[in-house]
Amino acid sequence: MQDKISESLASLEREATVAAVTEALAAGTEPAAVLAACQDGMVQVGEKFSEGEYFISDLMLAADIFKEASTQLDIGITGGAAAKGGAVVIGTVQGDIHNIGKDIVVSMLRAATYDVTDLGVDVPPERFVEAIKDTGAKVVGFSGLLTISFDSMKRAVAALNHAGLRDSVKVMVGGGPTDAAVCEYVGADGCGRDATDAIKLCKSWMEA
Amino acid sequence: MGNEALYQQRAERIEKAVRCEPVDLIPTLFMGQAFAPRWMGMTTAQYCTDPEGACAATLGTLERLGDVDGVNLWSVGYHTINLSTLWLSKVLMPGKDLPDDALWQVVERETMTLDDYDAIAADGWQPFLESFLPKVLDMEMFQAHMGWLVNEYPHQLGKFQAAGYVPVVGGITTIPFEVLCGGRSMNSFFMDLYRDPARVKAALDAMVPAMIENAVAACALSGIPRAWLGGWRSASAMLAPKLWDEFVWPYYYDISMALIDKGITPVLHWDQDWTRDLARLKELPPRTCILNPDGMTDIRKAKELLDGHMAIMGDLPAAILSAGTPDDVHAYIEALVRDVGPTGLILCPGCDGPIDSKPENFEAFVAASREFGRVS
Repeated sequence: MQDKISESLASLEREATVAAVTEALAAGTEPAAVLAACQDGMVQVGEKFSEGEYFISDLMLAADIFKEASTQLDIGITGGAAAKGGAVVIGTVQGDIHNIGKDIVVSMLRAATYDVTDLGVDVPPERFVEAIKDTGAKVVGFSGLLTISFDSMKRAVAALNHAGLRDSVKVMVGGGPTDAAVCEYVGADGCGRDATDAIKLCKSWMEA
Repeated sequence: MGNEALYQQRAERIEKAVRCEPVDLIPTLFMGQAFAPRWMGMTTAQYCTDPEGACAATLGTLERLGDVDGVNLWSVGYHTINLSTLWLSKVLMPGKDLPDDALWQVVERETMTLDDYDAIAADGWQPFLESFLPKVLDMEMFQAHMGWLVNEYPHQLGKFQAAGYVPVVGGITTIPFEVLCGGRSMNSFFMDLYRDPARVKAALDAMVPAMIENAVAACALSGIPRAWLGGWRSASAMLAPKLWDEFVWPYYYDISMALIDKGITPVLHWDQDWTRDLARLKELPPRTCILNPDGMTDIRKAKELLDGHMAIMGDLPAAILSAGTPDDVHAYIEALVRDVGPTGLILCPGCDGPIDSKPENFEAFVAASREFGRVS
């Protein structure tokens, strides 16, 4: 039953996924096991994206199907037993209001069982600091589409330093113009081109 | 050489590049809509509300940079009005919604409903637009913008030509996908493509004639036979191939062909990564368009596929202008000219030189372009 859920989600089949979830719950399968199957489907979607078989629209569709299927489950898709990957804080940095890339990363990280605190857009450095203190996150993600976000990212990194958090938190940056040079410029630990890169970074840091 | 002769020489150089013919010097263009006012000591608030001032800031930037052939897209009229109509979205304005010298930003919000697709399909694009625009922009400013285009735009263009610089695009348009994607917001629009494709397609089809007519009219008004045909969220990297083949490419093809038929060169200003579908550009007639990628598309692959078929304009990345050094700029341009030039290449910032570009990087762009771009 769980295979049917993950396979239909990985194939981006909305009706089949929702029906399989309904069927599994009706048959008495634990919601946590159903959620795990959905998450497995999302992992397969991420792999297909990395391999060039899927594109951004497919990630968005997968996230939408995942969200619809998850509404049947009486457990959150973040937090609690479902969140095994660890806490991550993420937001679009101050001065930039673009949310699409960040939202895709949030969806994929949650599907990969990370407990994500999404701070939204135009986030000032001190809010990142507060959220990291509140959640104990070991990874923070700074998103930005505009080049003016580079200096905001730099200020956010400085705020982590100032708060004494920098050594205990890994910083990843992403968004349209970010690359390895920008990563170095802002003082981050890693840079991702897309949501699957963000998952890889989180895995490498949290499982190390 | 006087400015008139200089203008002729530069215009001819650009035309030769478009036709993929040998040039003496690879043409070099400026584009930096937010950089120009900042470098010229003008706030972005002024830039968005003073169209003559915006033209003066752009022309001043060209003169300060010196030896460039012309300018790609720049702010024509009231800048945020252009953005709002292209994105069908509200744009946060410096001096009103943002500090005086902040960068304008498009608000990602669902302003169009599903029923609006039906209204567009039934009534046509222009009637829908007239009823919709007050939701996303200041109609008083919109009227001022339209009046400025008719009464002042040709006069301002004359100033560029008198100074010896070639304005490359005379009109602006895009495919219907981009406009509706902005109005619906990206996530909702993409889901609409999956859930209700026929409904979306009917609206897209109804919009095409008006989008062609607007570009043709602007080119006629300006006297410049080239039109900016933009794309950003319709990029190959954003969409599954079956969506791109149905909702994107047929519209680029039809609009391009209609423009070409009117003697207008489409400038395919394509942000994001279009590498997957570059070969489709060979379906367009040879030497009739310019591909203008932003640094994310594999420009070397474009050269490989389109060599002799289509000119390529680009693509110094925004991140290098903003966070790089003059040495980075020199290295990038040297490699670009080596791999993509000398014929059929026009050197230009990818997308748009950003507001926080370092002036020394723009100066390095011009110096490197002239150093490595000299052919004979």
